[in-house]
Amino acid sequence: MTKNLRITNNKFIDQTSRISFKFDGKILYGFKGDTLASALLANNIHLVGRSFKYHRPRGIMACGSEEPNAIVQVGKDASMTEPNTRATEIELYEGLEASSQNCWPSVNFDVGAINNFFSPIIPAAFYYKTFMWPANFWKLYEYFIRKSAGLGKSPTKPDKDIYDHRYLHCDVLVVGGGISGIMAAKTAAKNNLNTVLIDDKNILGGTTIFQQNECFKINNSYSNDWLKKEIDTLNSFKNLTIKTRTSLAAYHSYNYLLAKENLTDHLDLNEKKDKIRQRLWKIRAKKVIISTGAIERPLIFNNNDRPGIILSSSIKKYIDFYGVKCGQKISLFTNNDSAYETAISLNSSGVSVNSVVDIRDKTNSLIVKQAEKLGIKIHWKSTIVNTNGYKKINAIEIMKLSDDGTAVVGKKINEKCDCLGISGGWTPRVHLFTQSGGKLKFRDKDNVFVPDKSELDQISIGSCNGDFELDEVIKNTVNLINKFLKVNNSAYENLEIISSKEIDKKNIWLLPSDKPLGKTKPFLDFQNDSTAIDVKLALREGFKSIEHVKRYTTTGMATDQGKLSNMHALGIIAETAGVKMGELGTTTFRPPYTPLTFGAIVGRNVGEFFDITRKTPMHDWHVENKAEFENVGQWKRAWYYPIENENMYEAVQRESKAARDSAGILDASTLGKIDIQGTDASEFLNRVYTNAWSKLEIGKCRYGLMLNEDGMVYDDGVTTRLSENHYLMTTTTGGAANVLSKLEDYLQTEWPELDVYLTSVTDHYGTISICGPNSKKIISKVIPDLDLSDKEFPHMSYKNALIDNIKCRIMRISFTGEHSYEINIQSSYAKSVWEKCFEAGKDFNITPYGTETMHLLRAEKGFIIAGQDTDGTMTPVDLQMDWIISKKKYDFIGKRSLYRSDTIREDRKQLVGLLTDDPKEILEEGAQIVAETNKQPVEMLGHVTSSYFSPNLNKSIALAVIKNGKKLKGQKMFVPMKNKTINVTITDTVFLDKENKRLNA
Amino acid sequence: MLNFNNPVIDTKEYSEIRISKTEPILKMNLRGKNRDFITKIGKELSIITPVDPNTSASNEKLNLLWLSPDEWLLYSNHMIDLKDANFLDDKLFNEISKKKLGSVTNVSDHWIMINLNGKKVFELLSAGCPYNFNNFKNSKGAVTQTLFNHIDVIIHNKNVNDLNLFVRRSFSEHLFLWMNDAASRI
Amino acid sequence: MFLINCPYCGERDQSEFTAGGEAHIVRPKQPTELSDDQWAEFLFMRKNIKGVQLERWNHSHGCRKWFNMVRDTSNDRIHAVYKMGQKPPIE
Repeated sequence: MTKNLRITNNKFIDQTSRISFKFDGKILYGFKGDTLASALLANNIHLVGRSFKYHRPRGIMACGSEEPNAIVQVGKDASMTEPNTRATEIELYEGLEASSQNCWPSVNFDVGAINNFFSPIIPAAFYYKTFMWPANFWKLYEYFIRKSAGLGKSPTKPDKDIYDHRYLHCDVLVVGGGISGIMAAKTAAKNNLNTVLIDDKNILGGTTIFQQNECFKINNSYSNDWLKKEIDTLNSFKNLTIKTRTSLAAYHSYNYLLAKENLTDHLDLNEKKDKIRQRLWKIRAKKVIISTGAIERPLIFNNNDRPGIILSSSIKKYIDFYGVKCGQKISLFTNNDSAYETAISLNSSGVSVNSVVDIRDKTNSLIVKQAEKLGIKIHWKSTIVNTNGYKKINAIEIMKLSDDGTAVVGKKINEKCDCLGISGGWTPRVHLFTQSGGKLKFRDKDNVFVPDKSELDQISIGSCNGDFELDEVIKNTVNLINKFLKVNNSAYENLEIISSKEIDKKNIWLLPSDKPLGKTKPFLDFQNDSTAIDVKLALREGFKSIEHVKRYTTTGMATDQGKLSNMHALGIIAETAGVKMGELGTTTFRPPYTPLTFGAIVGRNVGEFFDITRKTPMHDWHVENKAEFENVGQWKRAWYYPIENENMYEAVQRESKAARDSAGILDASTLGKIDIQGTDASEFLNRVYTNAWSKLEIGKCRYGLMLNEDGMVYDDGVTTRLSENHYLMTTTTGGAANVLSKLEDYLQTEWPELDVYLTSVTDHYGTISICGPNSKKIISKVIPDLDLSDKEFPHMSYKNALIDNIKCRIMRISFTGEHSYEINIQSSYAKSVWEKCFEAGKDFNITPYGTETMHLLRAEKGFIIAGQDTDGTMTPVDLQMDWIISKKKYDFIGKRSLYRSDTIREDRKQLVGLLTDDPKEILEEGAQIVAETNKQPVEMLGHVTSSYFSPNLNKSIALAVIKNGKKLKGQKMFVPMKNKTINVTITDTVFLDKENKRLNA
Repeated sequence: MLNFNNPVIDTKEYSEIRISKTEPILKMNLRGKNRDFITKIGKELSIITPVDPNTSASNEKLNLLWLSPDEWLLYSNHMIDLKDANFLDDKLFNEISKKKLGSVTNVSDHWIMINLNGKKVFELLSAGCPYNFNNFKNSKGAVTQTLFNHIDVIIHNKNVNDLNLFVRRSFSEHLFLWMNDAASRI
Repeated sequence: MFLINCPYCGERDQSEFTAGGEAHIVRPKQPTELSDDQWAEFLFMRKNIKGVQLERWNHSHGCRKWFNMVRDTSNDRIHAVYKMGQKPPIE
């Protein structure tokens, strides 16, 4: 039944290479160079989807990114299927499978279409109004609404495609390769500027490249031939990069732009494999030239949404570019000259044009005269009042317009057709310009918003700047570009141009019908199904701001972002409300200009590259020894080392016991390490830590607490005095980068007079911590010539040593309360030393332990972890660490805040210990603590910050912060949980070895 | 003897990109503000200390990279034996830090040096660096500190399409794998 | 994404920088002499202007130097950058 809708003489489509594809399960054929839309039209398929709200049949309406209706689901694979893609932008490839969206069970028979008959009772904001109450019914409503509405289906499995990101820096970026873009890019390249030209199509040249019409000539050639030659010269410029199939998604401040390049979407299924599908270009351009062209406007009249109603310029592109006839008997409806170009193109391709319905009075431009000469019938000063045909247009009803254009008069003419081209004039594509912060101005003569002021080094040229006539485009482009690039390119100055000029302009936003408005269906936003009536209703209900009307009626909020509908919505609002369009302004155009895939946004940072991972020098050992890992910031830290089938609890119990009974070994390499040198190093430490440092002897270590200026604990760690003016500071793992940055801040801004230099050495050293009563014996085996006596090498001191000729530092410091040592050795040897220690410790059952056991052991001793037991609201006093605050020092960071009225409050939350009445009961970290259980609402006094079962004490222990906790020692409290209430007693924070005997054991 | 262990970074060749590692080499972080410090380093190393931003100076053995107005990275061109490294480390520390001119810190194992070589190295960098290499590309000796796939790096332009990239050791394996993934698709 | 002209390294992408809030708030030399209110003024009070504002920035992934910036918060235009210790180059 498919009639031959292809014309044979066509430059852009390779009619020798046939491509098979599937649409809604049916096998169809097209050619290389087709889009899905052009191939469907060639197969006489117009109906491709159902509308969002009323489920009305909808057909292909445009030929580019502005397409509102022909949005389809591509692919069937659960991991690769892509919803909401525009059939007009999908290049046909062998194996393509696409299907209609928003219809069930099929596009030809859609259950939801019943909404169309109820449409009088589904006005603007119907869903908002109807499903608001009762509130708990929403769950029910939502299910049905989502099922019957909703656009395409998301993929359910991970995307197998590969995506990529690239940064690009250039002198000039030209967006859009139409005639003005080509001229701009060539001028820039000629003047040795590093230039990039991008275009979202696969072939450069915009609409001019298929404009072959006597009325548009340059230097005696058809405009398309002239442009083709210009494009061919571009290849000679080495400093010009051309990227086709690349669409600009976002234009941010400082000329930072994002563009998506399609690399494989057009390839046959079997050629796509293992190639990058899309690449997101992050472009920083010194200068940006926008030449994105214009979008043809539809006309707003009764039943203007039927399949077969297509923008007139799109019909022209389908015939002139793709060689596809959108119909056999085509009518055109216009308010401007451009429909006549379509009429002439159709005529010269042998398609019969019924008539052109023009709302204007008779006009005599060059192109109109040419159309008349070809015998094309024109209905002047007329409008279409209705269209017929359910799944495809089959007739139009034409009437004369009254003089003022608000009504129709006279006799109704019926005209049969199988396609209607509509043209409501042109809207400059100013989206990118406004995204970048540019302000628009309104031009009354032809009702367009054109670029006005911009803060950025950019310019708009061609029709996106409001130049619609060929001769103006060329003349203005030349002038603007020369000025913008500060060059003098004379190549385009003396061109002989023939260009038909539009003489008469007329615009009616909402065309009248012979029926009352309420009985008509003049669609504004085709994708979101909102009509002119909805917009008027919103105004009647009191919405004034364009942004509010947009949200209330959803006009312009679909995936096409109202590329076609916005201007009419504005026009109708302005008209109804009696304000000027220029004053009304536009809604905000937000990025992306066309939808981006998540894949393109994420790039290659998926799977193993999802997040950055840092590894310690001993990482491989942990892996070999079956450690489970914990993410601490970006670090992979050994969490625990299960033996056989141990779970985490069992492993941690075993590790914790072994560390106190004999010996444990921990990889502490992730601790931040800062090398501090300079004559004021001691003074500097005095200022950044709460305690005093000047008198710390060389060779000794000291624990320090660092506050913020607000007095809250920020970080902690042990710092060692290596020599008179040389210290090594350690920080927490998570705080390393921030502490260094904070200290640098003080040195650079507050205390530039201090002679102190900081250098991060976190990654230079591997740190091995060995603890337990047998740690000394192990160290003595590893470093036999080191005097480990308490007298020579007491707790909180350090020694330099050599292990097999490699320099290292041994600190005798302890985070577990056990006698312990930390070996710091340059990272390249750390794994080897670790293995040596492990070997030496075998006789003592040395047990590797991870972060979980480390946390348990320190909790037994009541040592805090900054960030776990503190949360940025705890002062050292709150932590019951008053001993670490120097009374003598005049100042240190945060000192003044320690006696603000708020910090001296007695009922602040303070750190305490908690013991459960049932020693087997382990509290949950984060659980709330209350003083009574009957009252409601009950006051939350605090919460559990750390909680473990201690194998060394054989009971459950916990740390908690609780209001006025210091004074509540011995008090009974309750921890209410979901199914029970746990009785607890407030205790001291130190559970084990209060006398610190084990340190020297 | 202790074994020397470095993150697994094997030499990999792709079309016009070669990624390799030269370790162990000596790396020292030098910091100081006054003129004496600057002349002292020059004297000790026989290199004119680079004071212009984003530049470096080199001799047959050593490279000195400008990092900030008071910070430089020194690294050796070739693998260096332990004795020589210790000797230079001690000498600089004694002459500069001990004499209160500034600071000298051995950071040999803080950084891993990865050499990137080939016509497409800048394409590789553009996959993850926001930095504009258009001028850098043509300036031998240029230095930049920037981000590469969100990881801090120092990049030294040794020669035409021949770069040394420094990345903190703990990040090096991740960055190396990421670079391989990127390079394999260029 | 701004393009920031680090006074030490030159033009760099914003991702290399960290913002540090309002500039020219000097830490009092003698905090202990201050009343709670005076200290709170230093500690908590920031202007947060819509318009031209003086800010601290750190080239955290470059030279690690702090510097000041004159930025219009209403349109993100950076009017000037200047080193720590220097006076703002505007009124």
